Amino acid sequence: MIESLKKTAQSAVSALQQAGADKAQANVSYAITHEFNVDGGEFSLFRTLFDKQLAMTAIQGGKKGTVAQNRYDEETIAASAKACLEAAASAQPDENWDFAPISQNEDFVLGEPKPDTDKLFFRCQELMASVKERFPKIMMEQMIVSHKETYSAKANSYGALFSTHEGCYEVSLMFSGHDGDKASSFFGSGVITDSLDKPFLELGSLAEDLANVEKQIETTVVDGKFEGTMVLMPGCVTSLFYTLLSDFAGEQGLLSGTSLWKDKLGEKVADERITISLAPLDERIVCGERYTGEGFRAENYDVIKDGRLNAFALGLYAANKLQLPRGRNDSFNVIVAPGHKPIADIIASIDKGILVGRFSGGQPSSNGDFSGVAKNSFLIENGKIGPALSETMIAGNMADMLNRLRDISAEQVVDGMMVLPYMAFDGITISGK
Amino acid sequence: MPRAPTRSFGPSGRAQRNLNRRAVLLNGALVGNVRTEQFGVSARVYENGVYGFSSTAEYTDETVKDVLKAASENAAFLAKHAGKGKGPHKAMAPNRIVTAYDLNDLEQRTYIEFAQALDNHIASKYPDLVSRTVVITCDSMEKLLCVSNGCDGHSIMPRSYIYVMMTAMGADGKPVELYKVIGGGYGTFDRNYTKPEDCFAEIDGLYDRIQQKAKDGVYPEAGTKTVILGGILSGMLAHEAVGHTVEADLVIGGSVAGPCLNKRVGSELVNLVDFAHTAFGQPTPLPIYVDDEGTAATDAVLIKDGILVGYMNNRESAERFNMVPQGNARAYLFSDEPLIRMRNTAVLPGKSKLEDMIASIDDGYYLLDTNNGQADTTGEFMFGVTFGYEIKKGKLERPLLDTTISGVAFDMLKTVDMLSDEMIWASSGMCGKKQPMPVGMGGPAVKCRVNIGGR
Repeated sequence: MIESLKKTAQSAVSALQQAGADKAQANVSYAITHEFNVDGGEFSLFRTLFDKQLAMTAIQGGKKGTVAQNRYDEETIAASAKACLEAAASAQPDENWDFAPISQNEDFVLGEPKPDTDKLFFRCQELMASVKERFPKIMMEQMIVSHKETYSAKANSYGALFSTHEGCYEVSLMFSGHDGDKASSFFGSGVITDSLDKPFLELGSLAEDLANVEKQIETTVVDGKFEGTMVLMPGCVTSLFYTLLSDFAGEQGLLSGTSLWKDKLGEKVADERITISLAPLDERIVCGERYTGEGFRAENYDVIKDGRLNAFALGLYAANKLQLPRGRNDSFNVIVAPGHKPIADIIASIDKGILVGRFSGGQPSSNGDFSGVAKNSFLIENGKIGPALSETMIAGNMADMLNRLRDISAEQVVDGMMVLPYMAFDGITISGK
Repeated sequence: MPRAPTRSFGPSGRAQRNLNRRAVLLNGALVGNVRTEQFGVSARVYENGVYGFSSTAEYTDETVKDVLKAASENAAFLAKHAGKGKGPHKAMAPNRIVTAYDLNDLEQRTYIEFAQALDNHIASKYPDLVSRTVVITCDSMEKLLCVSNGCDGHSIMPRSYIYVMMTAMGADGKPVELYKVIGGGYGTFDRNYTKPEDCFAEIDGLYDRIQQKAKDGVYPEAGTKTVILGGILSGMLAHEAVGHTVEADLVIGGSVAGPCLNKRVGSELVNLVDFAHTAFGQPTPLPIYVDDEGTAATDAVLIKDGILVGYMNNRESAERFNMVPQGNARAYLFSDEPLIRMRNTAVLPGKSKLEDMIASIDDGYYLLDTNNGQADTTGEFMFGVTFGYEIKKGKLERPLLDTTISGVAFDMLKTVDMLSDEMIWASSGMCGKKQPMPVGMGGPAVKCRVNIGGR
């Protein structure tokens, strides 16, 4: 299969060149997905999907076009090459479009490519039974458990030729707590793993998340408004860094010129205890990226190192246009360096604040301002975790917040996609009714 | 599109093609220039209360047999290990509903040249902007459906839109943003847009708003306030805060609507309907005539005079709740199974005039634009607000900077005391629920009480 896909990718590149492309790239993949679904606490669906993908990109005279299909027979490749060049011909020239010019080709095998479907179903049944026994107030609104086996190949006109054969299991849960007619907010939790050796409940933060949601059926509302400390649970840290990486350090903010960090490369932008890496090659990341969309070998790198802006998360086009170094991978495999204190000690040091499990907010502005509802959250008072909260809003500024770090926990949650600690920030506006 | 498979296809089969054409100009540079197509066939089999499903990216007689076999095997596996002791769904009268037609698939240069004309207008007329983005996006979904118990169908759903985003420098030296969907809706690009000049007035209006926001914008005062939600926000309320809680699969999962059926959830002014294909004598923004389970689509009345009277169902949940399925089972790609989804969900208009609504507020806000919204199965919602005005002593005053509003839907709807007599529809977005899905949403101006975030 892999050799066949590599030949298909190369033939797609040749087709683009024959159609007139100066530079060309093709990605080809074939995937088989097995997926079990639970809805409303009961098994509902078993799916098997067979999928193909072909993406062809041409650059002609600095003009770029992309066409994607889910077939890759000879006729489709020829038609797509023609359509791709037609799309490129309509663009205005921009010399900054390019692909990876140096090839260090390799074939990768990642994760557990072939599924054990019977054992996967056993783990699903086991998870449902364990949740029922250990967390009797939890309603599993939806559980999606799948294995995806993917063969893929990438070729470009500089000679890059990569392939991967990979597979992993993905567990995605959506659940809420119920007691009579009272209910908690829903919560989503998930993991990616390449092994079925352990029960799912022992992975990531699934058990802790379920336990927390059971405690969120009874809620209280914050009285008035105060400035306090916001402790983000590891799963909630993600939403913060998505904004940082897109609006402050990513292509969107830098190409539009709106990034607050556009002139701060190498400068301090955060507390010196903060180091944020994008690390698909880390051994805790399952089936991480091995080559980028433009055909470079993926490498780990630090976006923020010891509080300083170390690199921007830019693709090759944006890097060329802005005359800045490109990011060394395209992944969102975020790893935040741990602190030294246990989370219990950090919470014990807080007079008044909030422990936030999920942030439901408007898209933060490019100036960093955010405001939204603290969901699946608890009040912190006098060093202790208090009651769960509802209708409580939090507001602040992301850029300012990074310089008002109170602490980072020693504990990290590893879910196969990211490695994240708890993070506590001072100076957040917390308001109820 | 190949011809429909025969009835021997099995319990449920669907061939489908999704097209997407997209051009993105960021500060004049073409950073997106993509055409995609997803095409294939799927089969779904129901056995003993559970489903088996399979799909493949090729549509031939052979692959039809393959996916039907795989779906049957999957259904048998799950029925054996987790069956629910249920028989087949209730019989439905067979029919064939055809609304498809040949799509005019335009060349990419049409989109790019149109976007460049809009960008040139913005760049030349408003050089003080920090950044500008023009996006043209067109998608379509063609479905060929064959079911063993219900309606066969052949439908097509094209949409096309232009988004314009602007960033200006605020008075405090920090950037402020606004975006607007310029025209568009159901139909191919050439049907919805004739010439770039027709869009200039709306673009100029967007610039006027961002200038107001940048120069004079203030944060609202945090707390529970009387507000008027403009039609874009009341449509989002209909979809996010109410609609999702009354999707029957979420009701089964424990949503707040479960214990509220046939109870008061809003003031007697509040009526909410998920329209299928026709509303107020006109086609809905995204008309649905038959769903992906073969149910002929009809309107789902959800709230009538403030009372929750119904849910949105698929065939299985309708049997569970002893309701009639109304065509809410929809799938996005050929490889997706049908889920309970909204179609065109709207708060119905009332009898008040907007100016009278504004005049009735001594201290509050008129909230007009949003950039996103989320809601919980408890009905607790949060909407980002990107533009609006203060209302002081019955008059519009200073413009607002970005803020957030929140509330609990079935509490907040009880505070509704005025609804305008005109409504707005929107259809450019995608609803996310395992799969994306194009949906329409709409509403009038709604006067109510919500929590507003301030800063």
